[in-house]
Amino acid sequence: MSQQGHAHHDPHELPFWKKYVFSTDHKVIGIQYGFTGLFFLFFGFCLVMLMRWQLAYPEQPVPVIGKFFNDSSMPGGVMLPEFYNSLGAMHGTIMVFLGIVPVAFGAFVNFVLPLQVGAPDMAFPRLNMASYWLLVVGGIVMLVSFFVPGGAANSGWTSYAPLAVVATTGQTYWLIGMAFLIQSSLLGAINVIATTFQLRAKGLTFMRLPFFVWSQLVTAFLLVLAFPPLLAAAVLQLMDRIAHTSFFMPSGLLVSGQPLEISGGGSVLLWQHLFWFLAHPEVYVLILPAMGIVAEVIANNIRKPLWGYKAMVYSVVFIGFMSFIVWAHHMYLTGMGTAISAFFQATTMIISIPSVIILTALFISLWGGSIRFNTQMLFALAFLPMFGIGGLTGLPLGLSSPDIYLHDTYYVIGHFHYVVAPGTIFALFAGVYHWFPKATGRKMNEFLGQLHFWPSLVFMNGIFFPMMIQGLAGVQRRLYDGGAQYAHAKDYLDLNVMMSWSAWLLAIAQIPFIINFIGSLFAGKKVDSDNPWEATTLEWQTPTPPGHGNFLTQPIVYRGPYEYSVPGASKDFTSQNEPPAGASQPAGTSQGVH
Amino acid sequence: MKPTNLLFLACVAVFLATHTQAATITGLAKFEGEKPNLKEIKMDADPICSTHHSGPVYPQTIVLGENGELGNIFVRVIAGLPKTEYPAPQTEVVIDQKGCMYDPHVAGAMVGQTVKILNPDGTLHNVHALPKVNEEFNLAMPKFRTEVTKVFDKVEFMFPLKCDVHPWMGAWIAIMDNPYFATTGADGKFTLNDLPAGEYELEAWHEKLGTQTAKVTLAEGESKEVNFSFSKPSK
Repeated sequence: MSQQGHAHHDPHELPFWKKYVFSTDHKVIGIQYGFTGLFFLFFGFCLVMLMRWQLAYPEQPVPVIGKFFNDSSMPGGVMLPEFYNSLGAMHGTIMVFLGIVPVAFGAFVNFVLPLQVGAPDMAFPRLNMASYWLLVVGGIVMLVSFFVPGGAANSGWTSYAPLAVVATTGQTYWLIGMAFLIQSSLLGAINVIATTFQLRAKGLTFMRLPFFVWSQLVTAFLLVLAFPPLLAAAVLQLMDRIAHTSFFMPSGLLVSGQPLEISGGGSVLLWQHLFWFLAHPEVYVLILPAMGIVAEVIANNIRKPLWGYKAMVYSVVFIGFMSFIVWAHHMYLTGMGTAISAFFQATTMIISIPSVIILTALFISLWGGSIRFNTQMLFALAFLPMFGIGGLTGLPLGLSSPDIYLHDTYYVIGHFHYVVAPGTIFALFAGVYHWFPKATGRKMNEFLGQLHFWPSLVFMNGIFFPMMIQGLAGVQRRLYDGGAQYAHAKDYLDLNVMMSWSAWLLAIAQIPFIINFIGSLFAGKKVDSDNPWEATTLEWQTPTPPGHGNFLTQPIVYRGPYEYSVPGASKDFTSQNEPPAGASQPAGTSQGVH
Repeated sequence: MKPTNLLFLACVAVFLATHTQAATITGLAKFEGEKPNLKEIKMDADPICSTHHSGPVYPQTIVLGENGELGNIFVRVIAGLPKTEYPAPQTEVVIDQKGCMYDPHVAGAMVGQTVKILNPDGTLHNVHALPKVNEEFNLAMPKFRTEVTKVFDKVEFMFPLKCDVHPWMGAWIAIMDNPYFATTGADGKFTLNDLPAGEYELEAWHEKLGTQTAKVTLAEGESKEVNFSFSKPSK
């Protein structure tokens, strides 16, 4: 039976603003992260909707909404190239740093991880709150930058020097915004590491941790170790822009044939090294939480243990380590030398192995499973081939020779969008459908869920697969007209129309999700159990929704995370805190509620 | 003095004050020496550019007439003007990019005067102004963006205007605080109108050949000719 009501009997009832605004409760912060991240995902998606119009129908007025933009961005509703550049840079920035990271890491890690490790809260609740509000400040700075002279940052999400150093004012806002976002992630990551190491329930050894916790723990280490160099780089670029230093500005630099009045002596490649030292691990920050979510959903819906759990754990740790020594595969075109290129080619090929192990383990886990094809499982299943395509198409980019041809083409866009869009974002949807009942006490509607999933799967591929074709044909990214100016792109321009219509239809396909999400908050079917999916991990052993302190009594863990269909067991799932048969229940511990 | 005489003198004074005859400077800029060999501009990278030209196109750096008349010399008054504030004209300074070449190649505008940049080519241009005192701008002009207007609010003598798409395209613009400037045409001639009487120092500027100065004294209504001679700077 459900233990609803636990939250309502808290004698220390907090005022509204402290309970829901400046909250230190990890679940509220997780939900705040979730709503904020979903808002920015929606906003970043809207930006690309505009871009897709420009790519499909260059130099034609954007229907209906074009007239709401001013002459500095869309005179007569027709998008200017400078505005397109801003949209591109801000789409990437917002989706990565304000959308996916806050949802994949901020929301899920905050809501789920302390519950899965049997903790009453995160190790540093106030730090947790500070982490969220730094994200909000960073987000506001990014949004405000759209309204400064010259518009938002327009030097790509990578902000390469020297272009970004001489760019318009929006770039300064970008750097300041990034500083806040980085601080936010650092505080969050420290909290995750401390919570996982210090607040695990009794008996919850590392090899009993759900794979989700492992993936988020490794993600936290990536953030802690990779973000500081980018923060340093952002500050240095800020100094180059406002204090006329030349950290990234070389001597004798000409812009449009004119020498710049700078001291010079800096290195443009230094920015690329510092940026990619963060940004490649950042790719794994985007994908590892997704793998963790998918593993939980798959394990729950195949009703059998994950195949190769230990191999998956070792693989995720190995990915974490290796992700720090592959960054320069983004820089083959800089001419950094064959020896260093050879090193990074080797490491890039090596890092693909643990990813393949995890994916293979998840595929093999399906074999012989009694699969429930509910919405979260559909999204999790779709993640596997989608991420597979994303990963495999990355291999040619990891090798110097093909990368020199494919670099900065639509092939690259297709590759990484397969990883993060039908990859990570599908996993995030799986996570939302999976943990929604724990957060709200209500289930999301299954019909609307399927109506969300199937068109999303079709249209995601309709957007990103043609990009591979365009890229192989040499069509470059960041062209505001989709390549209309270039003879070699002319035969592939029709694909832009198809991709854009797929994008708009994908937007329409999200309407069932929005209706489902909001509608289910108020009118979704109430769960009749704290463990509606009959899962094994600890978060399902709390009241629904969990109250302050999470567990009625401190859980003790006796077993691994995925004990489904254990031979001889009376039911097809055995909770982690269920004592072995014949063992006595220690006083003061919680018992699974089924 | 009788009131009628006083009135007469006042009328004379007003007449003189309002009917002071403005002076004019005309002149010719010439190039002395052997005609430099200019390399033909290759516009093959953008076929739309070459369709605007029937023959070979040469850089606008040195534009010479048959007898050495020198175009694209910017002539201005650098000393002697009365200290006063000159209003910006309502007329626009138009810089065209027709045929992927800037026309005029050397232009002047007053502080606060509108500068209109045209793109009639049906191809992408990217106007990149590189002033040091005024605000820099870097604007793409796709074929649908046929004109942009800019107003410069500070005096700045000569900064380049470049097209970042077509590397051969370059122009120069001076932002002046007075209206007494002109650019020589292909015939090498220039005219400075409506100057008050006075002693002036003129400067003639060329982007590659340097500057020449000349002094001239003008009486009311006088018209004088000042010529400039440029030659290839010695290395």
